[in-house]
Amino acid sequence: MLKDITFGQYYDATSVVHKCDPRVKILLMIAFIVLIFVSQNMFSLAFACVSVIFVLLISRVPIKLFLKNLKAIWVVLAFTAVINLFYSNTGKVLVSFWIVEITTGGVYRAVFMALRIILLIFISSVLTYTTTPNSLTDGIESLLSPLKYIGLKNAVHIFAMMMTIALRFIPTLIEEAEKIMNAQKARGADLENGSLVERVKALIPILIPLLISSVRRAYELAEAMECRCYNGGVGKTRMKQLTLSVSDLYAIIFIAVFTCGIIGLNIIF
Amino acid sequence: MAILEVRNLTHTYSGNSPFMNDAVKDVSFTVEKGEIIGIIGHTGSGKSTLVQHLNGLLKPTEGNVLFENEDIWENPKEIRKIRSKVGLVFQYPEYQLFEETVFKDISFGPRNMGLESEALENTVKEICGIVGVKPEFFEKSPFDLSGGEKRRVAIAGVMAMKPQVIVFDEPTAGLDPKGREDVMEIIRSYRKATNATVIIISHSMEDMAALADKVIVMNKGSLYMFGTAREVFSHSDELRKIGLNVPIVSQVFEALGLNNIPLTVDEAVEILKKRVGDNA
Repeated sequence: MLKDITFGQYYDATSVVHKCDPRVKILLMIAFIVLIFVSQNMFSLAFACVSVIFVLLISRVPIKLFLKNLKAIWVVLAFTAVINLFYSNTGKVLVSFWIVEITTGGVYRAVFMALRIILLIFISSVLTYTTTPNSLTDGIESLLSPLKYIGLKNAVHIFAMMMTIALRFIPTLIEEAEKIMNAQKARGADLENGSLVERVKALIPILIPLLISSVRRAYELAEAMECRCYNGGVGKTRMKQLTLSVSDLYAIIFIAVFTCGIIGLNIIF
Repeated sequence: MAILEVRNLTHTYSGNSPFMNDAVKDVSFTVEKGEIIGIIGHTGSGKSTLVQHLNGLLKPTEGNVLFENEDIWENPKEIRKIRSKVGLVFQYPEYQLFEETVFKDISFGPRNMGLESEALENTVKEICGIVGVKPEFFEKSPFDLSGGEKRRVAIAGVMAMKPQVIVFDEPTAGLDPKGREDVMEIIRSYRKATNATVIIISHSMEDMAALADKVIVMNKGSLYMFGTAREVFSHSDELRKIGLNVPIVSQVFEALGLNNIPLTVDEAVEILKKRVGDNA
């Protein structure tokens, strides 16, 4: 159950996408997301599909892993599709009962929306699969650095450090949660059966120890950081400087082509 | 009578992590009723994975676990029932405490078994008497207790289900000498009161020698040795080869080149007294 959580998981491989600068990747992902929403018709969305699949393939991350991410959100996906099915009343009526009718327009809309969500998930997973959590936060810190000039001097660094720590501790917390679940199961706790209310109640013996151990861990971590003279971002230099490379140029060219393609197809059709 | 039998148990973690595969390989052993079994092995030798099979927290990839001659996975829906028959106390059990009061926390296990009101209260009180949780602690928050007391309460929480077999995964880890002695005392008094079968994982060869009737030695997921404590600890060279050792008293006698090697301090004292007596 908990092992299905793959967010923030890095997949090690050598590819153009892996080599890209995290700042470029973050910006391009945002561009991609915007453009996926900008796609208005079938043709531009199809073009977006092809482009996303192209990015997935050159990232050399197994397609299986992307599909696994999809499994986690299939409820949201199904829900959106069903809602959209009834949302439109254009086109030929396919089914009609009571006060609702499903039209070809509705089906088209449902597929369109579902496809958009799938593309969003895929493209954002490319970012997390190909970028280590550390370089991801480095990228965010660097992108947010202009905020320093409007009086948020240390805030950017603190924010980035918080994100690094949060990402770093996801696997640790999962492991801890599993341990506590086993310990409570050994005391006869029933986590699999029962009504919704009973199951939510069954989480209390897991959440409380988990919360307590997180607080304990936070204190320990703070102490360990202070022992290593951590004093915030002031005057800190980096071991790895972020630099742009040829792969970033390719990425920018690619996104330029992609942008033109989407907008062009939107205008033409 | 065999209370617990493990037959050709193999467990393979399905995860894609390369070093976790085949955590337990083809392990078989039988535990007789009332015995104390020690399990030793270096870190990562599969001890913890092995014991999680005994109460059905993990399902064997291959092989069977039999409790009173019945396969515990015979009816997978009933697997929760085995957990009150085979209790498992995890490493650092105090991290599982969650209730507002000590009394409520200890009653979590028996309540899950379906005990209610008076029967529940009597059971908890009885267990508290055995493990030495004083009545004035009942209404305290378990988080206000000292480390040693927290562990005592956590162990009581498993014992409150009155399991016939109780398994401890490094019960004394992280405790001071007094705390360690207390935990050992709790185990002894529970056994005295209930005639339970006890299985203990430990890194302390001294505790094993003093307590265990039989010792299982695990190495790289396989059963390396299984025999009485005396048999196992007579193979000191083999044990050292896999990162273990014999109790310190035994090491001393070995280093002195004596052939009558004791396992515990008490035994050593007896042998030495005899020698001194002979010479005097």
